[in-house]
Amino acid sequence: MRFTWKIGGEAGFGILTSGLVFSKIANRLGYFTFDYIEYPSLIRGGHNALEVVVSDEEVRSLKKDIDFLVCLNEDTYKHHKHKLAQKAHILFDPDEFTIQEENVLKISVPFKKILTDLKGIPVMKNTIAMGASLAILGSDLEVLNKILEEQFLRKGQEIVDFNKKLAYLGFDHVKQNFSQHVKTHLNKKESEPKLVISGNDAFCLGASIAECRFYSAYPMTPSSTVLTTMAAWQFKSGMVVRHAEDEISVINTALGASFAGVRSAVGTSGGGFALMVESISFAGIAEMPIVIFLAQRVGPATGMPTWTEQGDLLFAVNAGHGEFPKMVFAPGDVEEMLELTAKAFNIADVYQTPVIIMSDMYLSESHKSMTKKFVDDFTANYKVNRGKTITAVVSDQSSVVSKYLRYKLTDDGISPRLIPGVKGHFYQANSYEHVEDGHTSEDGVVRKQQVEKRAKKWDTYLQSDFQPPVIFGNLESSQTVFVSWGSNKGPILEAQKLLKQSGKETAFMHFTHLYPMKRDVVAGLFKDTSKRYILIENNSQAQFGKLLLMETGIEIKEKLLKYDGRPFLPEEIVEKLT
Amino acid sequence: MSTIQDFSGYNPTWCPGCGDWGIGIAIKTALVQLGFDPSTLIAIFGIGCSGNMNDFLNTYAVHSLHGRALPNAIGAKLANHKMPVIAIVGDGDCYGEGGNHFLHACRGNHDITVIVHDNGVYGLTTGQVAPTAQKGFKSKSTPAGIIETPINPLTLALTQGATFVGQTFAGNVNNVIELIKEGIKHKGFSLVNVLQPCVTFNKINTYQYYMQHSYKLPVEYKKDNLEAAVQRGMEMTTAEKFPLGILYQVERPTFTDQLSQLQQSTLLKRLKFTDFVKLYNEFI
Repeated sequence: MRFTWKIGGEAGFGILTSGLVFSKIANRLGYFTFDYIEYPSLIRGGHNALEVVVSDEEVRSLKKDIDFLVCLNEDTYKHHKHKLAQKAHILFDPDEFTIQEENVLKISVPFKKILTDLKGIPVMKNTIAMGASLAILGSDLEVLNKILEEQFLRKGQEIVDFNKKLAYLGFDHVKQNFSQHVKTHLNKKESEPKLVISGNDAFCLGASIAECRFYSAYPMTPSSTVLTTMAAWQFKSGMVVRHAEDEISVINTALGASFAGVRSAVGTSGGGFALMVESISFAGIAEMPIVIFLAQRVGPATGMPTWTEQGDLLFAVNAGHGEFPKMVFAPGDVEEMLELTAKAFNIADVYQTPVIIMSDMYLSESHKSMTKKFVDDFTANYKVNRGKTITAVVSDQSSVVSKYLRYKLTDDGISPRLIPGVKGHFYQANSYEHVEDGHTSEDGVVRKQQVEKRAKKWDTYLQSDFQPPVIFGNLESSQTVFVSWGSNKGPILEAQKLLKQSGKETAFMHFTHLYPMKRDVVAGLFKDTSKRYILIENNSQAQFGKLLLMETGIEIKEKLLKYDGRPFLPEEIVEKLT
Repeated sequence: MSTIQDFSGYNPTWCPGCGDWGIGIAIKTALVQLGFDPSTLIAIFGIGCSGNMNDFLNTYAVHSLHGRALPNAIGAKLANHKMPVIAIVGDGDCYGEGGNHFLHACRGNHDITVIVHDNGVYGLTTGQVAPTAQKGFKSKSTPAGIIETPINPLTLALTQGATFVGQTFAGNVNNVIELIKEGIKHKGFSLVNVLQPCVTFNKINTYQYYMQHSYKLPVEYKKDNLEAAVQRGMEMTTAEKFPLGILYQVERPTFTDQLSQLQQSTLLKRLKFTDFVKLYNEFI
C-alpha cells in the first residue's frame, strides 16, 4: 500500500501545520511517511501545497501522482489536477468551485458552511479537512483528537473542544455521504514509535547529541528552521544561540566561541554562505574547528528561494581563498543527517578545520519517518571525540614544563589545541602565517613548514576517516550503476525498487564524504568500464561529476540532470533506462 | 603580581613617533594595574597597524580578519563570560569594514572592551582615508579630498546603546591607561576611542592638532546623561572639538546576564546535556 495525500490552499493558512499533523497521525497509526512542501517566497496570498506519501514500508521519496487531493481553494485543484491518479479522491467545497472532470471521485465537503455555522476562522478549514481526510481513509478521530489536545491545550479546553467539533463535522459528513468511496488505508496497526523529522530537524538533533554548545545564524530559507529550532531548544539544551546581524558576524561569532573552547556551528544557504567564505579561510589557517550547515536553494543570487537545487557543491568545496584542508559531507536522508552531523563535529575538532554539511531544500524541509530506536541507538553509541583539544600542557620531559606551541609541527599535521584560560600559558590563533608558537612570520622556511603541516591533515583524514560511497544493489552483477550524492538518494532507491519489479537489477553509489576523496579507493569502484554509469544530479553542470574527475580521474559521460527547482521523482529515473 | 615584561612579546614594528607606542604601553600597564596576567584574558586583534600588536602583547589572543574582531570577541565572551575580553582594532577596521558589527555590539551590550586606534588613515596600506578622516582630507585614494563627512564614533556608539563611551588621546599615556582600566572594569559594552596621530600618513591630525582641539571633560560633568553625552560627542562634528574622558557610563544588564542558560556556569564549563528525548519528543 502506498498513496499520496496532498493538501493545498492559500499561503498563510496553516497548510504546513496540517501536513505535519497528517504525517504524525499516519506515523502514530503505524505507517511510514515522506512529505514535501511547495510554497512561493511569500507569507500571504500565494499558493501553498504539501504532499505526504504514506506506506506500510519505509518511504524515501515522492511518487508522481496524487491519490487524495484536499482543496482548500480552487487554485489547489487547478494547479494539481494534471498530476491526479486514476480515480483520485478530491475533497473540495462545492460552494467554492465545481469540478468538471469525470474520472475523479468528487467528495464534496461544506467547509465554508461548517465554518460559518460555528463561527470559525478560515485557518480552521484545515481541521475540518483533516477530519474529512481521516474518514475517507477509513480511520477514526482518536489520534487527531489527541494531537488537537497537545496543540491547543495551552489556549484552553474550550479551544480544544471547538477544534474537535470541527474535525468531527468534517469526519461525519464524509462518513454519512461517501461511505461507498472510503479506502481503508489507515487502519491502526502495531509498530515501533517513529519521529516525523526533517533534514533541518535532524541537523539540530545531531548537533545537540554531538554537544554543540553554540549556534549562530541569520535567517535564510531553507536553513531558517535550524535557527528557530535551536533557539526554541536552548532553554532545555543549554545551548547559546545568536541571531547575528549578518552572516559575516554569524561565522565570526562562532569562531570566537570555538576559539574559547566550545563546539560551535553555523547554518545558512548559498547567499549567506558566500558572505562567510573569507572566514572559512580564516578558520583554515588559524586552525579553529567549525561546522557549517549549508542548505542549498535555487541560485544564483536570490534565485528561487523556496525551491531545491544542488548548485553549490563546487562553491562549497572551493570556498575560501588560499590552500587549507576542509571536509565536505552530504547526507542523503534524515538518518544520515543525524549521523554525519554528529560526525562532522568530531571531524572538525580532530582536524581543527572547517567541516561543511551540505543539504538542500528538499532534504532540509521534507519530513521523513525515522524510528525512535534509530535515534536512541545512535545516541547510545556516539562518542564525542575532541581530538587533540587539551586543557593542560604536559611537558615533553616529565620534569620541565616546555613552552606550549599552538602550531607545533607534528607527523599527522595536527597540533594540540589548548583551551584558553589555562594558567601559565597563552598563545594566539593567527590569521597571518605564523611560527609554531603562533607569532606572525613571513619566513620562507616557516611558511613552507606550516603549509605542509596543514596539508598533512588531508592525508590523515583520508587514512583515518574518509568513507567510500555506500553501495546499494550489487555492484558486481549490475550492468547499470547510478552515481549520485545528497538528497537524490531517496528517489534513486525508490527507482531501483521499481526497476527491480520489472526485472532490472541496478547498483547505486551514494557518495556522502564528498571532499576530499581517496583516489585509489574511489577509482577502484569504477574499474569495470563495460558498465553503464549514470550520474544523477539536481543541477545543470554535473558538479559532482567534475569533482569526481578532479579528485579521482574518473569521468562519467552519461548524465541525468534536473534543474527546474524540483526534486527528482523515481519515475523520471526509471524513464532514463527505458 | 604580573609585570609589564610578562605582557611583552616581540618588539613593536610601529613607525618611530607613532601613537600606537603610547597605546601599546598603556594597554600593558592597565592590564598589570588591574591585576591580570597573560593567562587571564582574551584579546582579539583586527588587521592594521593596531592589529599588529598581536605579536607585541602576550595573552590568549586571536589575530582576526580585517573588520571581524568584534564578532570574534562576542563569541569568545558567550563561550566563557568569566574571562575578560578586549578587542584591539583600528578606525578603518572597526568603523569601516566592521561598521555593521560595531552597531550591533553596542546594541547587545556585550561585555567587551573595544579599544580603537583612531588615526583617520589606513596606515598599513600606506595612507588611504579612513572613515574618521575629516571632510576634504586628501589621500592616495581621495586625491581631490574625501567627499564623505567623517563617522562620529562617539555619538554612533551612544545612540546604538553602548553603556560606556570614552575618548582619550595617545599623546597622554596616563589618561589612556586610566580610560582603558575604566573600560575593562565596566560591566557591559565599552568603547575606548583613542585619538592617535599617524606621523607618517596624516599631516593634519598631528599631536599638535589634538593638543589644540581636544579638551578634558570638566570635573562636574555627569556621565550618566545620554543627551548631554551626545551633545558633547557632536562637538567633534560641529566644532572640531574633541572631548576626552568618560562621556557616558550607565549600568545595564549585559547580554550574558540575560541568558538564563549561563546563570549557573559558563557555556564552556557547564555540564553535558543528555536528555535528548526532551528535544525529539515534539517530532513524535
